[in-house]
Amino acid sequence: MRGVLRGLVSTTSRVTVVDLEAGLEHLSRGTARHVDTLLLIAEPYFKSLEAAQRSFTLAQDLGIGRIQMVANKIRSPRDEATVREFAGRHTVTVAGMIPFDPAVVEADERGTAVMDQRPDATSVAAIRQLADQVLMSA
Amino acid sequence: MKIAIGGKGGSGKTTVAGTLARVLAERGQQVVALDDDSNPNLAVTLGLPNSQAASLPAIPRDWLEERPDGEGGTRLELKVPAEDFIERFGQPVRQNLTLLVMGQPDHGGSG
Repeated sequence: MRGVLRGLVSTTSRVTVVDLEAGLEHLSRGTARHVDTLLLIAEPYFKSLEAAQRSFTLAQDLGIGRIQMVANKIRSPRDEATVREFAGRHTVTVAGMIPFDPAVVEADERGTAVMDQRPDATSVAAIRQLADQVLMSA
Repeated sequence: MKIAIGGKGGSGKTTVAGTLARVLAERGQQVVALDDDSNPNLAVTLGLPNSQAASLPAIPRDWLEERPDGEGGTRLELKVPAEDFIERFGQPVRQNLTLLVMGQPDHGGSG
């Protein structure tokens, strides 16, 4: 199916949002060539940040132009500081910080979209900011 | 604009991808959300009911064509323009937002 993905992403005029396979091992150079922005989702603990950092390096090797980290499930100012410190040390741009949000857990349990479940959820507000940021710098 | 969302399993990447696609569509962008995960569940985070998410159309192989990959092998590529493909196999989710599921390994037989 990767040929389909590449064909679509390279030729459609629409905005594409691709939910990739977990880990970037399956991302081919051919597909990566057509992606202009890669957002790497990381949780605010060392192993997750390290994994994102490895993906970052891999994606750079594949030639993706804009690679940014999005921290998810932030529970405290300390979590935020952990992410900022790590990102600063590795010169990674943080495109967004999404708070830990029980509304997401609730939506997952019910098999619904968090935006439909709770449109005013804090996580949704953070993703709106992320969208603005992505659009602004496109 | 071509955005890809990556991350470890459990990081929340699918929630971010789905919600981001919804927000971009709300902002007036024409969005196609592509699920490339082999355990596809982007449909649910986009807000498609489970029943509908389970019955998304499979992509038959005859819409694909083997072409030389320039490295001595072949790869599968689309035979038709992307828009035709999206019209045919895309699942309309809401205004400005269409879902395509790529990651099911049994459809087409090529990983």
